[in-house]
Amino acid sequence: MNRSGTAAAALAGGLAFALCQWLVFVYAPEERVMGQAQKIFYFHLPLAWWGLVSFGVACAAGILHLVKRLPRHAQLADAAVEVGMVFCTLTLATGSIWARHSWGVWWTWDPRLTTALILWFIYAGYLALRSMPMPRARRASLCSAVAVAGFADVPLVFLSARLWRSIHPNVFAAQGGGLETEMAVTAAACVLAFGLVWLPLLIIRYRQTGQQERLDDVMLARMADEDDPTEENED
Amino acid sequence: MLKCALAICRKDLTLILSRNAGIMQALLLGLLLVFLFSLSLNTGDALSPQAAASMFWLATAFCQVLIFNMLYASEELCGARSGLLLLPAPVQSVWLGKSLAGLLLIMAAQCVFIPAVFVFLGQHLADGFLPALAGIVLGDLGMAVSGSLFGALAAGRSGRESLLSIILFPLLVPLLLAGVRLASLGIDPDPLPGDPLRWIGLAAAFDAVFTAAGLLLFPFVYTGDES
Repeated sequence: MNRSGTAAAALAGGLAFALCQWLVFVYAPEERVMGQAQKIFYFHLPLAWWGLVSFGVACAAGILHLVKRLPRHAQLADAAVEVGMVFCTLTLATGSIWARHSWGVWWTWDPRLTTALILWFIYAGYLALRSMPMPRARRASLCSAVAVAGFADVPLVFLSARLWRSIHPNVFAAQGGGLETEMAVTAAACVLAFGLVWLPLLIIRYRQTGQQERLDDVMLARMADEDDPTEENED
Repeated sequence: MLKCALAICRKDLTLILSRNAGIMQALLLGLLLVFLFSLSLNTGDALSPQAAASMFWLATAFCQVLIFNMLYASEELCGARSGLLLLPAPVQSVWLGKSLAGLLLIMAAQCVFIPAVFVFLGQHLADGFLPALAGIVLGDLGMAVSGSLFGALAAGRSGRESLLSIILFPLLVPLLLAGVRLASLGIDPDPLPGDPLRWIGLAAAFDAVFTAAGLLLFPFVYTGDES
C-alpha cells in the first residue's frame, strides 16, 4: 500500500472510530446487569481479534522470511508482533476490568484470557530475543523461528486451558446467551473500525522498521568511510 | 541421520557424565525447589496432589533449561559448532542427537525428583499411575524436542539461561498442564473427574507439533553464521 493509501486507511479508521463511539455509547442499549461497564466489551473483542490476526501475520511473515530470506518479511514480522503486543496488552487490561466488574476478581482461569496472557508471554520473548545484540540476518532468522513456533502453539494453549477449566463448574456460561441485534451491529462495526486502525498502524510501523535499518546501514557505511582514510594515512 | 544422531547423543552423554558438574547442578536445583516448597507446609500436613504434581513439573522444567544450555554450551565453549555442522548428515541430526541426550538426562533427573516428591511433599501412589507414567513419558519427549530446538536458539548468547526460560516456558504451558493433570492422577486417591485420554492426546499433539517444528526450523536456528 502506498503512502496515500495508508493515509486514506488511517483517515477511514479515524472516522470509523468516531462512528463507533456513537454506536457504543448512544445506539447500543445498556446491558441490564453490568450497566455501563459492559461497553468495554466493544473494545475488548476487536482488540483481541486484531491482536491474534497480528500474530498470525507475524507467523506468515516469519515463514516467508525463512523461505525467501528477504529482509522486508522479517521487518513485517517485527511490526506485526509490536502492534500485536500493544493490542494484546490492551486486551488483557480490558479483560481484567471486565472480570473485576463481572466476576469480582481481576484475574480468573478463563481459557480466552489465559490464552491471551500466554500469547503475550510468547511474543514478549520474541521482543526480548530481538533486542539481543547479534547480526541482523541472524536475528531475523531466530525471531522468525520463534514467531512460527509460537503461533503453532496457540491452538494447543487454548485447548489445554479449556480442558483444564472444564472440570470445574462453568460459572460464566450465562454470558453465552447471545447479543441483541443493536449490540451485535455495534460489535461488528467496532471490529471493522479497529481493523481500519490496525492496518495503518502495521504499515507505518513496517515502514519505520525498514527506514531504521536503512539509516543504520548509512551510518555504518559512513563510519567505514571515515575509518578508511585514517588507515591510509597510517600506512 | 540416525547414526549421526546417536553418535552425537553418545558424545554429549559421555562429556556431561564424565564432567559430572553440570548434571549435578540441574539435579540439585530441582531437588532444592521441591524441598523449599515443602517448607511451606506445617508439620504433618501433605500438599494437595495437584500442587505436588506442579512442583514436580516445575523442577523438571528448570532442569530442562539447565540441561539444554549445557548440551549446546559444550560446542560453543570450544568453538566446535562448525564441526557439528560439517557432519555428513542433515543438520537435523544434531537436533535429534541433542534431543535424545536431553531426554535421557531429564528422565534420569526425574528418577531423583519422583522419590523427593513422595518424601518431602507427603504423597502416596494411587491407582492412576499408568496415565501418570504415560504423561511423564510424553511430557519428557515434548520437553526434549522443544528444549533441543530452543536450546540451539539461545546457544552462545549472553544470559542464555534466562533467554531460554522466557522463550520456552510460555510455549510449554499446554504440556505442563497435561503433565500436571496426568501426574496428579498417579498420586491422588480421589482424582478430579475427567478423561485422562484427552490429556494424553494433548501431550502427544504437543510432541508432534514440536517434533515437526524442530525438523523444519532447526536448520534456520543452528547455522554457522554466528557471533
